[in-house]
Amino acid sequence: MAIINLKSIYSVAKKEFMDNLRNKWIIAMMIIFLLLTILASYLAGGQAGGEDAFGGMEDTVVSLLSISTLLIPIIAIMLGYSTISGEAENGSLSIVLTYPVKRIEVLIGKLFGLGSVLIFSIVVGFGAGGLIIAATVGASEGLAYLSFIALTIMLGFMYLSLSICISSFCKKRVTSIAGGIVLFFWAMIYGMIIFGILLASGVSFEQFLTPGFAYPDWLFASVFFSPGDTYQMAVMQAFDVSQAFGFTMEIPEYMSLGLLVFAQFIWLTIPLILAYRFFKRRDI
Amino acid sequence: MVDKTIMCPNCKNNLTIQGQPGEKIYITCPKCDTKGKFTFPGKTSYETTDDSYALKIEGLTKTFNGFKAVDNISFSVKKGEIFGFLGPNGAGKTTTIKSILGLLHVDSGNIKINGYDIKKNEIEAKRSIGFLPERVAFYDNLTPIQTLNFFCELQGADKSIIRGLLNDVGLSDALDRKVGGFSKGMLQLLGIAQTMIGKTPVYILDEPMGGLDPRWVKVVRDRIINLNEQGATIMFSSHILSEVQTLCDKVVIINKGKIIAKDTVENLNKHLKIRPRLEITIPGLNGKIPEIIKKIDGIESIDIKNDVLFITCDSVARINIISEIKDKGFEVKDIKTIEPSLEEAFMKLIFKDDEVK
Ligand SMILES: Nc1ncnc2c1ncn2[C@@H]1O[C@H](COP(=O)(O)OP(=O)(O)OP(=O)(O)O)[C@@H](O)[C@H]1O
Ligand SMILES: [Mg+2]
Repeated sequence: MAIINLKSIYSVAKKEFMDNLRNKWIIAMMIIFLLLTILASYLAGGQAGGEDAFGGMEDTVVSLLSISTLLIPIIAIMLGYSTISGEAENGSLSIVLTYPVKRIEVLIGKLFGLGSVLIFSIVVGFGAGGLIIAATVGASEGLAYLSFIALTIMLGFMYLSLSICISSFCKKRVTSIAGGIVLFFWAMIYGMIIFGILLASGVSFEQFLTPGFAYPDWLFASVFFSPGDTYQMAVMQAFDVSQAFGFTMEIPEYMSLGLLVFAQFIWLTIPLILAYRFFKRRDI
Repeated sequence: MVDKTIMCPNCKNNLTIQGQPGEKIYITCPKCDTKGKFTFPGKTSYETTDDSYALKIEGLTKTFNGFKAVDNISFSVKKGEIFGFLGPNGAGKTTTIKSILGLLHVDSGNIKINGYDIKKNEIEAKRSIGFLPERVAFYDNLTPIQTLNFFCELQGADKSIIRGLLNDVGLSDALDRKVGGFSKGMLQLLGIAQTMIGKTPVYILDEPMGGLDPRWVKVVRDRIINLNEQGATIMFSSHILSEVQTLCDKVVIINKGKIIAKDTVENLNKHLKIRPRLEITIPGLNGKIPEIIKKIDGIESIDIKNDVLFITCDSVARINIISEIKDKGFEVKDIKTIEPSLEEAFMKLIFKDDEVK
């Protein structure tokens, strides 16, 4: 029972990769992502370095960060939201599941296949940005940039895992579209909600912007409840950035890169385990 | 030796065949080249060893939110059989098929495919299956070759057969097109090609002729017979009853989730007392039924269209009719015996079943 066939996982992954990499919506998003990263690599440097058109690593990473925090979840959700519900509804999954494969193999294959599409677009997008930076300001922080790419891939996988969970739970494609939209908006407004709570707790807007203001601990803890926030925090740690978007932050000791990455693994695995439970019990 | 006249489902041509009781023969219509199969009436033996069954279903029940779509049904399909699964819309055919395949989680029931339990021995059971779902879909951005490549990998089958399979179902002109642009019929054909990957011993086809034009219906029929000749077992559901009649060894009819008949086509007709029909062509009748024929005992119904008499009667009456006609000097141009159609049996059964409820 416990034996998993790696060949089947590979076949499913390959099929997902080939199918989605030819999907015109995915291609469109990947192109937007690529153009924005090139533009950001250019503009961030233009503002920071004055004469120098291309900026240094850190400034560029901060602007790339805002692009990836927005676009990578979108691409991940687009890839995953209907991967099970849609296939169950149109009938293709019923054919696949009458071949000698297990549902767990199909699920893992989908994660890797769709994940490869994400990896592909991140590597192309940030690779292009990185090359531009390396060509202009040198590659001194190359290692940090590689961890930036790795963390971005992790961001993609967290949202992929969440959206696969949605598609595994929802009975119909339309409900999983709604689920995907809710997931995306939740990711986008989470920061605002936390900020709202902060203001409601008596902190004024001026205080908030004052350099050296000590943020309450729970504000940092709230980071762990949002995959996107763990990502931003982890990237800033990797680059030792404490100043971003006009804010200066005193990041508490415990908020280490290791803890953040651990939290990300939790975000990756829990939705996947749930996805498998829903998928296993599901009528196809 | 027994003589039988049967009607070709495609061109309605009548042909006479000969065989021993219980014998199964393959027929090719001399006019339109349609292939078919016929089992002569006679005793059929039912062995009960487990490995003589390709499919064995016991006490299958499946409910959807409290609604019993399939209600405690049991049947088995012997190896090498072509098995027809009939029933009106919503009877529970698709639900039964999906339950057999482990796609649905059943409330209760034991299911064995080729001797393997679908729950306990999932992979082995599924390795023996070629399945065509009711609604066929694949991956929009893959070509037919890429699609079949994927399924070959899953089955662990040889990929060199792919082009041949696509050619067999007439898709060789569409090899480089994306499946997303395929018509319903083309998808159905690709679905049929897909079932033949890995030369599985058991085929389960949910309405294999649905959505196909007559030319391809014939291709599918011929394929089914071809596979069966090579030893495969085929279970298929269908609305086209004449198709089932000339293809199947055995049929099960279900209605409202329950089996209402389970038999050979021949026995089913007998059981329901649906008699063969006599068609006599006598030039010059012009829509008038001769009085002398009306008087003969044992005629169930009699009808006329131009010069052709349609009579349903028992075998004694049949002899009397023929001798009477000859005695009275009618010039008989043609006499045919038409086998009762399953359609009649089907309608009669469902009608009776609904009446009881
Ligand atoms: N997923 C489902 N949820 C709820 N009810 C269902 C579901 N699938 C089937 N049913 C119900 O179960 C009954 C049997 O449906 P099924 O699809 O098995 O019929 P069928 O014999 O295949 O009909 P058809 O000839 O139209 O294909 C129907 O009343 C149908 O509405
Ligand atoms: Mg059906």
